[in-house]
Amino acid sequence: MRFLWISVRKDWSRVRRDPFSLATSLAIPLILAVMMSLVFGRGQAAPQGRLLVADEDSSVASNLLLGAFNRDPLDKMLLVEKVAQADGHARINRGDGSALLIIPAGFQEAFLGNRPFQLQLFTNPAQTILPQIVQESLSIMVDGAFYVQRVAGDQLRVVATRNAPPDELIASVSVSINHLVTSLRRYLYPLAMDLETVVVADRSESKSFAATFLPSMIFMALLMIANSLAFDIWRERLMGTLRRLAVSPAPLGAFLAARLIFVASVFALVALVGLVASRGLAGVPVPNLPAAVMWLTFAGSALFLMMLVVAVTASTARAASVMGNLIVFPLAMIGGCFFPFEWMPAWMARIGRLTPNGWAITQFQAILSGEIDARQLAVAVAGLTVVSAVMFMVALRRLRSGFLV
Amino acid sequence: MIEVAQLRKSFGDLTAVDGVSFTAGRGEIFGLLGPNGAGKTTIISCISGLLTPSSGHVKVDGHDAVSDGPAARRVLGVVPQEISLYEDLSAAENLAYWGGAQGMRQPALGERMRQVLELTGLEDRAREPVKRFSGGMKRRLNFACGIIHQPKVLLLDEPTVGVDPQSRVRLLELVRTQARDGACVLYTTHYMEEAETLCHRLAIVDHGRIIAAGTLAELRAMLGERDLLRLSGSFQVEAAKAALAHIDSIEVLQADAELLILALPEASRRLPAIFAALAAAGSDVRGTTLTQPSLESLFIKLTGKELRE
Ligand SMILES: Nc1ncnc2c1ncn2[C@@H]1O[C@H](COP(=O)(O)OP(=O)(O)OP(=O)(O)O)[C@@H](O)[C@H]1O
Ligand SMILES: [Mg+2]
Repeated sequence: MRFLWISVRKDWSRVRRDPFSLATSLAIPLILAVMMSLVFGRGQAAPQGRLLVADEDSSVASNLLLGAFNRDPLDKMLLVEKVAQADGHARINRGDGSALLIIPAGFQEAFLGNRPFQLQLFTNPAQTILPQIVQESLSIMVDGAFYVQRVAGDQLRVVATRNAPPDELIASVSVSINHLVTSLRRYLYPLAMDLETVVVADRSESKSFAATFLPSMIFMALLMIANSLAFDIWRERLMGTLRRLAVSPAPLGAFLAARLIFVASVFALVALVGLVASRGLAGVPVPNLPAAVMWLTFAGSALFLMMLVVAVTASTARAASVMGNLIVFPLAMIGGCFFPFEWMPAWMARIGRLTPNGWAITQFQAILSGEIDARQLAVAVAGLTVVSAVMFMVALRRLRSGFLV
Repeated sequence: MIEVAQLRKSFGDLTAVDGVSFTAGRGEIFGLLGPNGAGKTTIISCISGLLTPSSGHVKVDGHDAVSDGPAARRVLGVVPQEISLYEDLSAAENLAYWGGAQGMRQPALGERMRQVLELTGLEDRAREPVKRFSGGMKRRLNFACGIIHQPKVLLLDEPTVGVDPQSRVRLLELVRTQARDGACVLYTTHYMEEAETLCHRLAIVDHGRIIAAGTLAELRAMLGERDLLRLSGSFQVEAAKAALAHIDSIEVLQADAELLILALPEASRRLPAIFAALAAAGSDVRGTTLTQPSLESLFIKLTGKELRE
């Protein structure tokens, strides 16, 4: 029993000393995610965004502010739509629209009088990038406007007294805002105005790109890591450490069990970091985090054992590596790791869901969407455990006889 | 403590070990001497339980290596011929892991680690990853990992290959210490001098068979008090053999166009006569080496070939 923990610690120490080989397993899914989001994510990011504006002030200053959203490049991503405040709230609560901006009455007066004022921005959490763009642009404009007020307040006050400001003036002020923002942003005084951002609880039903692609990317990572960690048995064989172990009193079963614990801990860590990061960075909701992490840990460990059986059955290290890749890549392709099942033709998805990783992804999606209850989950975990136990015994048997000579 | 009886091991058609028997006891250093491919490593692997013998049996401290493997392995320490270490880990981490695999615990393990690191001259490099070690340093650590638990039976498979002379002296001293403390040591090598200075008893192995066994004195007696004379040059083999046949008590061990190996008593006194006879037979001697009776000469006498090719 002590040897078990010594051995787990040894495996972790080895990873600490050489994190690169594990990191390369993560590179493929990450690169893939970036590529996919470039290819498929773009189309969605274009003028799909809708900024709802409740302009309670209807002044020159508020129009000036909104005008900035109608200029390149923001106009390509956002449609500005004026709404009444109550209507705007209702729509953003339904998830209709990227964000709701409220410009309070008295904005222009406060702005020109150099008094503090507040803009309110309600963002839609189901959309990730667009509300951020709105928020970022607004804060830049608020910064810039504050500066303009300081240096050009008199001129602006003149403009505001007339009913229709000449277009050239608006244009020149807008240009100067942009110019000032980019060149003087870091010298600006502390803001006397602030921007309040409120995130509205998620109501949207439609899945974002990130949410659709997340399970694929995670299982791609699991499959790659499983393959790489399973191949490590050949590294131990070639280093001679496995032979040395075989002539020591420490049981090979404990060695293999330690390896499984180590592998499971790697998967648990990858799952936790991956899910938390995709929630934090891409806003993918993960409603049942503990169950999701547990499922990924069990599924990853089973994939590892499957690849381990393949590795120890091969007669040379090279054969093991070739066989491993010949199994992993087609499985990833058809089993929903390169492309989500949602994007596949129905017949292909049907086959893909029958692969080990495809089945595990399907269960994982059910966990994410809350379609699976505790009892069904327990049955799935139990099934996985039985299959894993069988594969463990097969690998151990091969290690005991034949693999070392 | 080690009993090997009629051990045979075949790999397909090849019989690597062919009917080997010997015993070695407490406090004894038993040497297995033989050229590459003689079957030394195969014998060691059968004793350690890594290989299952095709026939015959092996006992370690009274436990059968096959049917009672775990008990046999508990008394065993092995220094494999191939370096068997975690290259990513440090020397100390390797020692701690292999000590742990032998069931050692702190603080005894820490104390013993310090001891073997000092004995193998690695105490300054203990925290460094092994992959940065030189070949000789890896050898020394490979050795240290095999003796960390002070095993009752120690199997050493050419542990000093590639180790510099000073470190070798220290390693050999370490082996003697283990034996003095009561361990039974099986030591394989193809270095004659090592076998001669270290081993109490020896078996000379060739083609999977023991061709001679006994104490150093017994083996020397088999050779007689004869010197070994190695002549290089160009020789008319048949004519040279005929010419030498006229000189008293000379034995031709090996003869070909470039090399003659002779065994004879008092060789140095009789060199002029030998040169004269060879010159008369149309041979041209360009180099001579004279060696005192040794395991090497015995090996050449027994097998008709040199130990180190
Ligand atoms: N696993 C194996 N499969 C097939 N043949 C083997 C195997 N192991 C060893 N042999 C053969 O058995 C013979 C004895 O090999 P062994 O390694 O025991 O020699 P050795 O005396 O240790 O040689 P060396 O001094 O080179 O280490 C060799 O002919 C070798 O090719
Ligand atoms: Mg050998």
